[in-house]
Amino acid sequence: MPSTTARNAADDLADVERVLSGNAAAFEGIVRRWQGALVNMAWRYCRDRSRAEEMAQEAFVRAWRNLAQWRRESSFSTWLFALAANVFRNELKRFPAVNVPIEDIAEPSRPASQATALEEKSRHDAVRRAVLALPMRYREPVLLFYFHEMDVSAAARTMGLPQGTVKARLSRARELLRRRFPRLSEEYVAMESAASN
Amino acid sequence: MKDEMIDRVLASEEALLPSSGFTAAVMERIREETAAPQPIPFPWRRVMPGIVLGCGGLGWGAVELTRLAIAAAHDPQTITVPLSASALQPFESLGWSAVALVVAFATWFVSQRIGGESQLL
Repeated sequence: MPSTTARNAADDLADVERVLSGNAAAFEGIVRRWQGALVNMAWRYCRDRSRAEEMAQEAFVRAWRNLAQWRRESSFSTWLFALAANVFRNELKRFPAVNVPIEDIAEPSRPASQATALEEKSRHDAVRRAVLALPMRYREPVLLFYFHEMDVSAAARTMGLPQGTVKARLSRARELLRRRFPRLSEEYVAMESAASN
Repeated sequence: MKDEMIDRVLASEEALLPSSGFTAAVMERIREETAAPQPIPFPWRRVMPGIVLGCGGLGWGAVELTRLAIAAAHDPQTITVPLSASALQPFESLGWSAVALVVAFATWFVSQRIGGESQLL
């Protein structure tokens, strides 16, 4: 995941140099290092496992074709994530993920009383589906913010947008989610008080 | 829903493991890309004279039309429509048809030669 970025920077650079000097097999090292991150990133965009792998594969092939365009001004991972985000965005424009409008996603009733793990999972799934139902301009900052472990600057770099814009869109996205799931705040309060007791 | 709740839900996403054949599938596509023949570059050098000639012809036509339009604006009596003349003279139109046929044949001949040299035909 993104935290491995620094650890792998030297390996990335070495592999890129080898690929650019004609050793195509060296690209395998890059794929092995970043496949998990790219598949997970694609999964957040479409929430369809097989499609996520297809989209991640396409991102790797696109990275292979454009490897010479990496300027080394940013880390390889930053470049790769930005390229992948572009690929995923375009893929979803061509064939949108099947999702329902945010208004149609039901909020579970009496959230405080629902204690089982299964119910919690379904509640969380509802929130995640609601994120997918957000308009793309709000959805992408949310997806990338949490993919980058709540790092606004990393999400902004991946999208090629100023941090302020990303923050504003995140705020708007949260507002839309809050409006859609008002009762979940009660659950949060209940959880907090239970934890303090 | 509070922001902390949203954070808790969305940050607790389980990591998805790529399937075991993922790397192999990507590398297979890379190998296919490497093995594929390089795209044939567009023959700019051969086409350039035609483009220049075409642009020149269009430019000349535009200049002539502008000239006629200016003349017509100054003196509406002197409007001449060269195309109507050819319509009135069948022999002249026959000549133009012959020229068009020759140009079409020459284009076909040149394309055959270019295609033959690059072993496309």
